Amino acid sequence: MSLRVVHYINQFFAQIGGEEKADYAPEYREGAVGPGLALNAAFKGEAEIVGTVICGDSYFNENLESAKATVLKMISDAKPDVVICGPAFNAGRYGVACGTVAAAVKDELNLPVVTGMYAENPGADMFKNKVSIIATKNSAAGMRDAAPKMASLALKLAKGEKIGASAEEGYMPNGLRVNFFEKERGSTRAVKMLLAKLAGKPYTTEFPMPSFDRVAPGPAITDLAHTTIALVTSGGIVPKGNPDHIESSSASKFGRYDISKFEDLTAEDHETAHGGYDPVYANEDPDRVLPLDVLRKMEKEGKIGGIYPYFFTTVGNGTAVASAKKFGEAIGKELRDAGIKAAILTST
Amino acid sequence: MLLVTNNEKVRTKYGPLCTVRFVDGGHNDVLKTVRDLVHKGHRLLTHPLAGSVKPNETPFRSVALSGEAGAVDLPSLELIEEAMSMCRQFPPRFHRGEDAPPDMRDDFAEIDFRLIDGALSLQ
Amino acid sequence: MRLELGEIHISDIKLGDCSKVENGVLYVNVEELRSLLLEDEDLASVEFEVVHPGESVRVIPVKDVIEPRCKVEGPGGMFPGVISKVNTVGSGKTHVLKGCAVVTTGKVVGFQEGIIDMSGEGAQYTPFSKLNNLVMICEPKEGIKQHEHEHAIRMAGLKAATYLGALGKDVTPDETHVYETSGVMSGKAQYPDLPRVGYVLMLQSQGLLHDTYVYGVDMKRSMPTILNPTETMDGAILSGNCVSACDKNTTYHHLNNPVIHDLLEQHGKTLNFVGVIITNENVYLADKERSSDWSTKLASFLELDGAIVSQEGFGNPDTDLIMNCKKLEAAGIKTVIITDEYAGRDGASQSLADADAAADAVVTGGNANMVIHLPKMDKVIGHPEAANIIAGGFDGALEADGSITAELQVITGATNEMGFNKLSAR
Repeated sequence: MSLRVVHYINQFFAQIGGEEKADYAPEYREGAVGPGLALNAAFKGEAEIVGTVICGDSYFNENLESAKATVLKMISDAKPDVVICGPAFNAGRYGVACGTVAAAVKDELNLPVVTGMYAENPGADMFKNKVSIIATKNSAAGMRDAAPKMASLALKLAKGEKIGASAEEGYMPNGLRVNFFEKERGSTRAVKMLLAKLAGKPYTTEFPMPSFDRVAPGPAITDLAHTTIALVTSGGIVPKGNPDHIESSSASKFGRYDISKFEDLTAEDHETAHGGYDPVYANEDPDRVLPLDVLRKMEKEGKIGGIYPYFFTTVGNGTAVASAKKFGEAIGKELRDAGIKAAILTST
Repeated sequence: MLLVTNNEKVRTKYGPLCTVRFVDGGHNDVLKTVRDLVHKGHRLLTHPLAGSVKPNETPFRSVALSGEAGAVDLPSLELIEEAMSMCRQFPPRFHRGEDAPPDMRDDFAEIDFRLIDGALSLQ
Repeated sequence: MRLELGEIHISDIKLGDCSKVENGVLYVNVEELRSLLLEDEDLASVEFEVVHPGESVRVIPVKDVIEPRCKVEGPGGMFPGVISKVNTVGSGKTHVLKGCAVVTTGKVVGFQEGIIDMSGEGAQYTPFSKLNNLVMICEPKEGIKQHEHEHAIRMAGLKAATYLGALGKDVTPDETHVYETSGVMSGKAQYPDLPRVGYVLMLQSQGLLHDTYVYGVDMKRSMPTILNPTETMDGAILSGNCVSACDKNTTYHHLNNPVIHDLLEQHGKTLNFVGVIITNENVYLADKERSSDWSTKLASFLELDGAIVSQEGFGNPDTDLIMNCKKLEAAGIKTVIITDEYAGRDGASQSLADADAAADAVVTGGNANMVIHLPKMDKVIGHPEAANIIAGGFDGALEADGSITAELQVITGATNEMGFNKLSAR
């Protein structure tokens, strides 16, 4: 008997419509739809898509909890042996939806699941260490290439077979090192890699060094008494009410708020927008995360020259490194343009 | 020179020759003592993970540091922190020398002694 | 320098009362060889066993593996400075008994390592399961120290390999390879357009049971220096290393250094292989700085465009590896490093004890912490109880039925950092 597969796709791949239909609510259809046909072919009779769950990308991301619950129920009701999400290629919101559904299928339904997307899809960074993501090309033209890899990995997972290394199976490296036999011995691979490196051609290191992205510390400040200091935090401190709606996780923006009138941050005027840690102490006294009170004291004592009138804030919880980098560059630019020589960065 | 060790064999030879800080504990206790000394401004002279006997296998460790203390030496700090984080990944097989069977214990002690002795006698 | 390497294919080893190589079979006069080896007053006994590929046999704990070779023409002899006089080797003609090896076993220390399984799961990880091996079980006289014991076994292996290699002196080789290298100036003239590539060969040199000898010199007492690639094929470098079975370079590895062979293969075609820089992996941090400065200085002297760096061991040598890589890259020399990993049994831990962004081209020999199951073997040669105490053979490793559950690091040569194997990890 062939294995039962349920497939999750978005409104676009279900041929319902583009952006104008992105608010499409979850729907279950019997059998394969759109890209499911390519997957069915790749299963070669060993498995079959029994049903397809379709959901608009905006709908999913804007109604995250309820959409996830509905989608999960539809999947679970179809009693699959294995679930496939996407592939999402380079569609960002679709990638995040595929990753979210896949992670929930794995954690909550305890079912094997495979998704697929382009390496630069934001969903890849968010989910590659949680679920198996087949690396695809950046457009739907990559379906022919992606379908056999997704099908093969799905079958292996469903049958409980040993999963090979990322380079063999085609999934994105997930932080777990897996041994396997290459076609050539290591020395031959080293010589080829060196020749490519010498010729300026692309090559792939077998062990990417952990990316420390170390920043050399700036020179020490010798005259603190005449230096204005800026406050920056990823601890989520915002004016009460979170006027710019900075997300509690996976922040897409940072805020810039005036503190020139404040001597001390209190529960009356500030709070944290940060999810993922107990906010009680930060909300009780926001100075615990953004230490304005002590800096004001030092300002009065003449220990520091002054405090930059604005503080910058975002939420570190699950925020993509690429986004954090962008925020950092923008904040750094403003501070540099303002001639600020020092900043204190606090986290949680 | 300052020698941190939990190996009696090393203490016996080097006790009369230099300052020995004897640690009554296991491999990772030696590294902790070394880290504290690095924070106090001593510089590492020998590698904290010397030897190919895996750090979670051998219960003995001897590390040489500069006798004088100055400003914190950042390369030393980085090296000892990396060594400690490597050791945290692998639970030690023998917490202290006396946990190892006697013949292994002697061999571990001998290797540790030879490694540090070899490094220092060349200088 | 030009070296002709004549390979005599050996399909079997037979023990008896006459030593010769005939029709691809190596016959060994056991008594003659034994009495030669027992001239060493530190050895009490030497026993011999022959093991073949595919047999249900386990050898444990392995100390060294050595390929029998013999100098036929040209200056010097095998293992110069140790067995033969110290003359420079690497030119003329050398015969090799291909397909066989001398394997020494002996328990130098209580936690010694190294398994060669001739069949089953373990066999696929060690290159020595594919050879006909003459295993020598060397027992020391009572009361000798660990370093004397190590020395006695090391010398016994080298003597036996030299004795056997000499049997091939007058045999016509089945296959001949010619390796020719250029001088620094002539190579430049000959291959003006090819990138100049060097090989930085890091040698284990931390101390007792962690040593490597070059022309008889203990490498921890040497500054980095330059070798002609063919010198290694005549035994210029030999292993005195008993520790870290999976990623120690045995004497067999040094004789058959795969980086040297692959670079020579490309020499004059895609690159100009300028030479080998040997350097050490000392414990003293100032030595590390000095040696990595010097290996880079020599590479710059040779005006290299690119270099491959190979490592031996883990932990302390990771620091040398990264120092070499950083300094070579900083000197404008494009560098590829070969290492192995200790990423934990689940593969989730940090693989190396040191890291740097300059190391952007890495070849890995695999994760040494991967757990493997070695089936029971019909015959175990050596000290089976060693399975319980070798590195990576955690307590209870030796099951009641004779099978072993252990980490890959117990297998001799499994994650070799010269790139001898096909094993890798992602």
